[in-house]
Amino acid sequence: MKFDMPLLGLDFYLASSPILIVIVGSLLVMLQSVFKPIASPRAVYFSTFSVIILALASCFIAQQNPGRFLEGAFISESLGSWGLLLILSIGAILVAMIRHSNWDKSFFRGEISSLFLMILIGMMVVVTSDDLVTLFVGIEMSSIGIYAVLGYMVPTRKSQEGALKYFVLGSFAAAFLLFGFGLLYGATGTTKLVAILPYLARLRDNSWIQIGALFSMVGLGFKFALAPFHLWAPDAYEGAPTPITAFMATTVKVVVLIFTLRLFTHAAAAGLYQVWTGGMLFMAILSMLFGNILALVQTSLKRMMAYSSIAHSGYMAVALAAIASKGVALPVAAVLFYVLAYSLVSLGAFGIFMWLEREENDSLQLDDLAGLAKKHPWAAVGLTVFMFSFSGMPPTVGFISKFFVFSAAVQADLIGLVIIGAIGSSISLYYYLRIVVRMFMDDPLPNRVIGGKSISWPISTFATIAVLLTVLMGTVLSAPVFDFVRWGSQHLVVR
Amino acid sequence: MSLLHSHILSILIFLPLGFAGVIVFSPSVQISRWLALVGSLVNFALGLWLWSAFNGSSHGLQFVEAYEWLKQFGIRYIVGVDGLSLLLVVLTVFLTPLVVISQWHIADSRQKMFFFLLMSLECGMLGALLAFDMVFFYVFWEAMLIPMYFLIGVWGGSRRIYAATKFIIYTVVGSLLMLIAAIGLYYLHYKQFGSFSTSLLDLYRIKVPLGAQTWLFLAFGVAFAIKVPMWPFHTWLPDAHVEAPTAGSVILAGVLLKMGTYGILRFAIPLFPEATVTFAPMIATLGVIGIIYGALTAWMQADAKKMVAYSSVSHLGFVVIGSVAIMGDLSLNKEALTGAVYQMINHGISTGALFFLVGVIYERRHTRQLADFGGLATVMPWYSLLLIIATLGSVGLPGTGGFVGEFYILLGTFQANPTVAITASLGVLLGAIYMLALCKAVLFGPCTNPKNQELKDINLREAAYLTPFAVLIIVMGIFPNAFLSKSRMSIEYLADNYHHYQLPVDRMGQQATSALPVKAAEVSFVIGDAR
Repeated sequence: MKFDMPLLGLDFYLASSPILIVIVGSLLVMLQSVFKPIASPRAVYFSTFSVIILALASCFIAQQNPGRFLEGAFISESLGSWGLLLILSIGAILVAMIRHSNWDKSFFRGEISSLFLMILIGMMVVVTSDDLVTLFVGIEMSSIGIYAVLGYMVPTRKSQEGALKYFVLGSFAAAFLLFGFGLLYGATGTTKLVAILPYLARLRDNSWIQIGALFSMVGLGFKFALAPFHLWAPDAYEGAPTPITAFMATTVKVVVLIFTLRLFTHAAAAGLYQVWTGGMLFMAILSMLFGNILALVQTSLKRMMAYSSIAHSGYMAVALAAIASKGVALPVAAVLFYVLAYSLVSLGAFGIFMWLEREENDSLQLDDLAGLAKKHPWAAVGLTVFMFSFSGMPPTVGFISKFFVFSAAVQADLIGLVIIGAIGSSISLYYYLRIVVRMFMDDPLPNRVIGGKSISWPISTFATIAVLLTVLMGTVLSAPVFDFVRWGSQHLVVR
Repeated sequence: MSLLHSHILSILIFLPLGFAGVIVFSPSVQISRWLALVGSLVNFALGLWLWSAFNGSSHGLQFVEAYEWLKQFGIRYIVGVDGLSLLLVVLTVFLTPLVVISQWHIADSRQKMFFFLLMSLECGMLGALLAFDMVFFYVFWEAMLIPMYFLIGVWGGSRRIYAATKFIIYTVVGSLLMLIAAIGLYYLHYKQFGSFSTSLLDLYRIKVPLGAQTWLFLAFGVAFAIKVPMWPFHTWLPDAHVEAPTAGSVILAGVLLKMGTYGILRFAIPLFPEATVTFAPMIATLGVIGIIYGALTAWMQADAKKMVAYSSVSHLGFVVIGSVAIMGDLSLNKEALTGAVYQMINHGISTGALFFLVGVIYERRHTRQLADFGGLATVMPWYSLLLIIATLGSVGLPGTGGFVGEFYILLGTFQANPTVAITASLGVLLGAIYMLALCKAVLFGPCTNPKNQELKDINLREAAYLTPFAVLIIVMGIFPNAFLSKSRMSIEYLADNYHHYQLPVDRMGQQATSALPVKAAEVSFVIGDAR
């Protein structure tokens, strides 16, 4: 095998500029903390935020330079740009919200902020890669960063327990993923996805490919928190500092989803992986039922959100299962729309939780929300809109995204799955309503004070925007947003 | 007036929402209540204008507006009105200002939120009645649950949280079944015509296979049966009504329950005609069980509000049997259908009045137990007069609207299915017994309780929102044609043609430039696979 070091031109540097900026930025932020005068949280915040904004801006440059580089290890096309935009926006919003919250001092330390940027690098690598090796390296880079931040940012027993559980189970998942990739490589002799696809057509009944696909799915199921591989999620979500929970609930889902779509869309559409539809069906059903039923009995808010995120992974898996020979465009667009909507609503809800928590290791209980509508009516209204959106009630984006997902499933003749999804949604309404009931219909607990001392403007601004978007994207804006999602998925669908 | 002609329905739907938005930011409670009153009255005026401008000689859809929304999915914003929905629209805009007046005096810091919810509820109800796109219908249908949920849950009685949660969970389970069935229909349209459309006008054209009809009909049917509510899906209703504040009960009984029967007429029957024929005997049986069961249960209640709540179960049973009276030639019976449409309005008026009247004495005495009252006729003569009129309207005494509706229903049902009609007429008898028992317990006999002797008669504000009901009950009994004339064509068309139901878009009342042409199958799924 001849090994040529490919010549990298300017277009490569332009196309990968977002990643390069964050790489340089993460190192600078790390260095910055060595110098006392510029190591204050304020300074670290400033540099972290600027790095992300710069990267976000350079996405538009990157998007002008499409192409495959390093034999597919880095590609620049619409799905990658879509993912970069989403991940970096979430990162920027989160960093801005943390700055004016209780986690200010613990997050804007050089090592934590730099780790955060490195997690972003890993994620950006995943969404812009077409090669099994780089995909794996990227996803592990982001996972390991999350384990570390989770346990290290606010070191309490709970967060370390969560980090350890996440780490042990996540490592298993990584092993499964790697083993699956190894089998795929063994059967096809290449790690380039673009080169694997033709092999798949010829080797459709090859059992190594089937087993490789199965193992990869198990690994992705772990990362995506799909039942029965969801066990780490409640502890990790509850133990993590709330901003990190928000980060896990949003970006990780986006990244793993794009990873999954890259790996499986075409093969699944060609009916090559027999295990695909069956496996996705199985995980979707279990997640929707387990997630929603177990969320019913939770008293800790973050734990409830963890189970709810498992259920939402289940809804997304419904659309993934619908990727079949009958049609790729609708399921792919539906699932991307769903993850966009879910990220928006989650980020809004976690933003309000962040503001409600008085201390950095505070863990909000459901009862703490009692009477919130009397003390902080706007926070209560915001949370209500988010909860209704999570449960899929119109006129919110939660409804329209479920409509897309269920339409995709009906198109693929998965009526049973839709019925289970509908049952799951009606169960979920109950626990989301428990939050609403506590806020609006109960009196405040006498000995519990929630809500920050003053209104944190990044949180209130973003929460307001998120509320508006939640309603608008469910009504007048759904068409343009759907176009944006279709733009993201065009290469995947057409290739 | 061209704007009114071309956009009247959108204005009707979204004007209350606009007022709701302003109410939230209004500086004081006083201003918010005036805003609510003005908004609801303007909407009432618009509703009356719609009624007068509506062309009663056509069964087509009028005042149509259609705009693309999600082209890829064939979802369009389509609103229109026909004879089936016209009266319900007018009922909705009629009830809302009265509810606002009834809540005028409550000095409560949350009153702003109350009016906000009420106005958004009006938007949801009108939207559900006027939307002719499945997705938009569903959006409005669900969106009206949320304000009602808060009305019950925040302003309700002691078990309000239980009642509110039960109400929303029951309804949402039904709605989700409907959503699945709607997606199924949507897919059938795609299979048969090769394009996606959620427009009801397009969905009517689908020939639903017989096997699928059964399931789809059941899914839609259960959703509407929960809403009506039909026995045995009625158990949320007594809880919701008893715990809801008076205003919530009035809207719930007046309009929300009608959504179920309206849905049957609008969706279940024309979309799934064969399944309707198959299931009609079963539905009629459930309707009759509801009539008798509701009446017997109402008779046994010691709580006046619960009594009125159960009477709703009974009265809506009549509407249900009137909707599915199928003749030998498989057409629906026109008299029965006319009665059903008329009875929906009657029930909204008379039961709304009864809930208000129960609310009046509850506000004074903070009890609704029949045993706590008696002899009010001597201390509250005007109140007694109004209560008697409402009771008689509810019982269906000749000369009231209730009589016309029930008579039409029983007459028509007798031609279709004598057994059902005879059993159902037992319900009329039982209705007279328990409603007169209510009247007797509250109004007549000696006024022994000293607390009752001090009761004041209704004041001007109460008279302002109660009198329109009393007047309407009698007017609707004497001049039924004035109300029914605009609906006749639609009813007859549905009765004869529900097997191949098509709603033409009627442009007689408006300028043709206002809307996109409603043509089926012109939208295709543009993100089709390029594989």
